[in-house]
Amino acid sequence: MAEKFRHLYVVIEHEDGEFLPVSLEMIGEARRLMDDFNSKYSSKEKVVAVMLGHNIKDVSKKLIEYGADAVIYSDNPELKDVRNTIYTKVISQIAQDTKTLGEVEIEYASDIQRPRYMFFAADSIGRHLSSTVLTELESGLASDINQLVIEDIEMSHQQKTAGKKEIYAKTLEMYRPDFSGFLWTTILCLDNRNPSFPRDYHPQSCSIIPGVFEQLKPNSSRAGKIIGFTPTIDAQDLKVKILSRQIIESEVDFETPRTIVSFGRGIKEEPEQNIKLVEQLAKELNAEIGITLPISKKPFPVSSSLDSKYMIPDRVIGTSGHKTSAMLYIAAGVSGAMQHVWGMKDSGFVVAINPDEDAPIKDECDIFIKGRMEDVIPLLIEEIKKQIQIMETA
Amino acid sequence: MGQLNVAVIIKLEPDFSEGNVSYNPDGTLNRAETKNTLGPHSEIAAHAAFFAKVMYDAKISIGTMGPPIADLALQQAQQISDAEELHLYSDRLFAGADTLGTAEVLKTGIHKMKEKMDIVFSGHRASDGETGQTGPQTAWKLGFTFLGNVVSYTVDVETRTVHAKRLISLQGTPDVLEEIEAPLPVFISIDPTYKSSFNKISYRLAFHKYRKEAAERAEKYKDYFTMFNAQELGVDETLVGLPGSPTIVYKVERVPKSTATRHAEIIDGSDPEQIKKVVTKMKEALAAMVIK
Repeated sequence: MAEKFRHLYVVIEHEDGEFLPVSLEMIGEARRLMDDFNSKYSSKEKVVAVMLGHNIKDVSKKLIEYGADAVIYSDNPELKDVRNTIYTKVISQIAQDTKTLGEVEIEYASDIQRPRYMFFAADSIGRHLSSTVLTELESGLASDINQLVIEDIEMSHQQKTAGKKEIYAKTLEMYRPDFSGFLWTTILCLDNRNPSFPRDYHPQSCSIIPGVFEQLKPNSSRAGKIIGFTPTIDAQDLKVKILSRQIIESEVDFETPRTIVSFGRGIKEEPEQNIKLVEQLAKELNAEIGITLPISKKPFPVSSSLDSKYMIPDRVIGTSGHKTSAMLYIAAGVSGAMQHVWGMKDSGFVVAINPDEDAPIKDECDIFIKGRMEDVIPLLIEEIKKQIQIMETA
Repeated sequence: MGQLNVAVIIKLEPDFSEGNVSYNPDGTLNRAETKNTLGPHSEIAAHAAFFAKVMYDAKISIGTMGPPIADLALQQAQQISDAEELHLYSDRLFAGADTLGTAEVLKTGIHKMKEKMDIVFSGHRASDGETGQTGPQTAWKLGFTFLGNVVSYTVDVETRTVHAKRLISLQGTPDVLEEIEAPLPVFISIDPTYKSSFNKISYRLAFHKYRKEAAERAEKYKDYFTMFNAQELGVDETLVGLPGSPTIVYKVERVPKSTATRHAEIIDGSDPEQIKKVVTKMKEALAAMVIK
């Protein structure tokens, strides 16, 4: 059957030709999904990497090794740095250019109009780029996805189907953890089949949390198509001038220290005192201090110095923050929501301090110290002091 | 020197501060019991707009889509920004909108404001939805240059140009501070780390003057307030609410409990002897892994 929408497009991010890990993770996940898709539907739809930049033609070929079937690259000095307007225009052109779409798979060249699915990275660039591209394409977008499934879905919806039961074939189920980390919401992007205003919504698109999916090992024997795309660039799209780019060092360092002490809503009874206890414990262990996502929303009033130092997004461990593989991870007053666990589960040895034995963190730690942090941490500090000469000598 | 017109789009959100937030026993947000307030990122956007008020004597307008009680958020944002125009876009037709359907309402609302906007601010993301999409989608619908993650900015009112610094954080690379220049109009999504600073006495005097004015205005916020339904706003009804939303929430489920990745030894936290054992194990863990 001729279909207007085919393939999964992945928008690649890179720094001067070096792929960001999330780009390869998206290709890896796209490969897995489309392999399943093609075997389930006896189809031959492709994973297509889309890469913009300057002097990138050669490096873009590498994306085939990581699992793409085709690469569409656009090489132009004006695309050297990411600027939202011009990038949005060029990606939207690529997604709608039937000649380029046809080159991906010659057999269906006469029918295809747009990609079926589209992936972006959920980061400082991809979050905004996906938003503007999908506004230009007038289709749907889900953000911060950490699981993907493709299925035929039977449903009736007041608006989408005017209450009638319909089958939406080949629908991308996009799972996103909510802010609490306890709920998982599945977002679908569905055509309007309501006869009062039918509308196609393709590509079905999402932004993907960095670090969630596995990248594939590069395989140099894989073959694929490399397709150059010459964009139409209007002077109107180049109004933003980049004057300088400066690398800045974060004050928070989760890479170097061997130990991380993090705290969560368990500080609530005496927030000021408890943060100070965490500070002391971290000091004894030469540890960096992390927090859970709810703490970054500043739920408790504390002195402004503690607030501005600790209750900040930069310290969040979890899907909306950092991922750590510290040797020792101490979670004080942390319940263990999924999105936090994702950020700390690769740690070596995990100690949790929590009065609630039913807290999910119990299944993610090696030692569960049952008790309130205000009672336990002073004992820990005292004991560490006794043994300090052996601790952290490296 | 022309007038600078600034709009802010804001959102009424659950108040996550202790005492106002309520969680269900399973750890999910209890929306019925949780109070609402101006979202923290919206608050920062309002501060960024107030910076333009103090520095350039800008005229500020605020728009929000929400239920009638969202006037509370407008009042709070007025108190911060000294806005002279408050818009609430409220209609049952808008309910259930995804970010694209929301952006359509906000775009139409911004066009409905008295002045033609030079800068529109939004927060980084809402603290309940957390998509961060509505700002850039509104920007694209307006046809404004979108600048995300802005940590500071200045405007050259003569040349109608904005200078801004953007903080770009990408996985596996150090953060980059990018300095850019763009002609007005622009749409700025403000970074959570944004802080206004006024380093001249004249600015600080203006700051105090306008802050006082803002407090007075916010006391009588109804004088500045207009509520629009879909018809009054003149939106295309197929582009808003459920009809205008490509995406739907298909299901919400509890995150399945993952199989325990570790088997915890349970320790009584009040027993110093047991704590001693914990510290010994911590020490062993650190030492063992150095050898690896």
